[in-house]
Amino acid sequence: MHVIETQNLSKEYTAKFSKQKVNALNDFTFKVKQGEIFGLLGPNGAGKTTLIKMLLAITFPTRGDAKLFGTDVKNYKAKTKVGYLPENHKFPSYLTGEQVLSYYGQLSGMKDDSNMTKRIDEMLGMMNLTQWRKTRIKKYSKGMMQKLGLAQSMLSDPDLIFLDEPTDGVDPIGRKEIRDILHEIKSRGKTIFLNSHLLSEVEMICDRVAILNKGDLIKEGNVDDLTKAENIFAVHTVEPIGMDIKQKVMAIDPNAGIGENEINSEAGIDKINGIIDLLRAEKIRIQTINQKTSTLEELFINVIKKDNTN
Amino acid sequence: MLTIIKNTFREALAKKIFIGYYIFYAIVVLIMLFAVNLDAVEGIVSFADIKQVIISVETGFLSLSFNLILFFSLISTSSFIPSMLEKGTIDLLISKPISRFTILMSKFLGAVLFVAVSMVFLIGSIWLILSLKSGYWSPAFLSSILSLTLAFAVMYSITVLIGLLTNSSVISILINFFMIFVLCPVLSIRESVIFTFVKNESVQFVFNFLYYIFPKPGEIKDVTNAMISGDNIAMWKSTITQNEMGLTSIEPAWMAVISSLIFCAVVMSYSVYYFSKKDY
Repeated sequence: MHVIETQNLSKEYTAKFSKQKVNALNDFTFKVKQGEIFGLLGPNGAGKTTLIKMLLAITFPTRGDAKLFGTDVKNYKAKTKVGYLPENHKFPSYLTGEQVLSYYGQLSGMKDDSNMTKRIDEMLGMMNLTQWRKTRIKKYSKGMMQKLGLAQSMLSDPDLIFLDEPTDGVDPIGRKEIRDILHEIKSRGKTIFLNSHLLSEVEMICDRVAILNKGDLIKEGNVDDLTKAENIFAVHTVEPIGMDIKQKVMAIDPNAGIGENEINSEAGIDKINGIIDLLRAEKIRIQTINQKTSTLEELFINVIKKDNTN
Repeated sequence: MLTIIKNTFREALAKKIFIGYYIFYAIVVLIMLFAVNLDAVEGIVSFADIKQVIISVETGFLSLSFNLILFFSLISTSSFIPSMLEKGTIDLLISKPISRFTILMSKFLGAVLFVAVSMVFLIGSIWLILSLKSGYWSPAFLSSILSLTLAFAVMYSITVLIGLLTNSSVISILINFFMIFVLCPVLSIRESVIFTFVKNESVQFVFNFLYYIFPKPGEIKDVTNAMISGDNIAMWKSTITQNEMGLTSIEPAWMAVISSLIFCAVVMSYSVYYFSKKDY
């Protein structure tokens, strides 16, 4: 059984005045396994938040189905083992940090007893908010609110946590702390569904990502595979590469980029080995061979550009 | 459900308007405490006279303040639904393993219970002061706690629906004002006043139709006053009679309470249906 499962999930909005239909999500089908950290990427308006909201039945799909732990999301009991940190969350400002956790803990089904108090202590400690526990949250900074939100999402020890921009407004040190916490959660076998604009962070944290653009799923896979799929090998030579060798290299990989002392190829392992064999046969000494892996950010930009051009 | 009800109480107590609400009630109670002096009322010779004076004070108080207390309570609680629907708040509530029905009904019950507690404070204090001062201990006046709470629940169902539809507390306050102080009073005097001018049967039908479907807070007050005074209460139709001296007397009907409760149930059912289908 998958933790999250969707089948042709679609959402269509009707613009208020023009009556024009807008597709927020088109036939989105995917699965997330237990223990994965799944990242959802996409430019603004790609449908990321809409997807999370549909998975939590905050918004209803126009077509398609979604299941959490095998239960249809229309059944509110499907959310029993789920934690959620919405983007720009708003807690009741008249509560203290401790009361916020107690309130949302009880709404998540926790009993107001010593176990919950212990868990609140633990969460506040983990977020470095213990000294602020009795302070009304209207006095909290943006970063503190974000940490409190994260604590809220984790309080009932859910098996699946949805995080919508968890590091929004958090300083670099706070971001590092949140990253460490997410790794810690993952090590306990929990599943995290992460929606973030910070691609470097997603790359550091996530096992698998999906890229959305204009409501369409345009790429999905393991972070390693996706970044490796765009592999570029760079061979640096000691001797300059002459015209005749350049032609022979082009015969092996017509798309190779050839400089005076450098050959770049995206044609894969076999072709790059062919090029190396050729260079050595031509008595050209090789100084270095680098496997250039594209970053998630590069991949993201390329994929979105390509999709927008199409 | 209890968690949301408790939080609604917290929300109410955190709002500055409720400080004003309780200061106002405390002033009313203090006025009753110091201003009502039975020794100064001329002509009181027997316990029956005392009883009559107390009933007059109680019914007089309700006649003057029933609609005002109701409206004040509605203003104070009108922001509960719009604040619950704010982006970032509603998402989090719905993401919890609770049905949307429970969320909305808890919010509604939270507001109603809060007003009920406030009424216990206000009416209970007034009753205690009058009883201590007069020695006449009749619990009938306490029934106004229930009738005020009930009238509030009925009118608050409108606030809930308008809040869901518009996200605005101002619109719901305006609509409640129109209902309590204009529409409902006009509809309740349709037979005795309006129909003497309007003879067209279709127009009369429209007035009658609106009268029966809309809530009747004014008549709930009349029923309460009749209970306090020990007067007759008809089952279905209220009557207004005029004596030789030109004084009007009303025999209210339970129908006003029943039709108001039906209105509340219908409006709340539609609110729950709307809320459970809405995208946030």
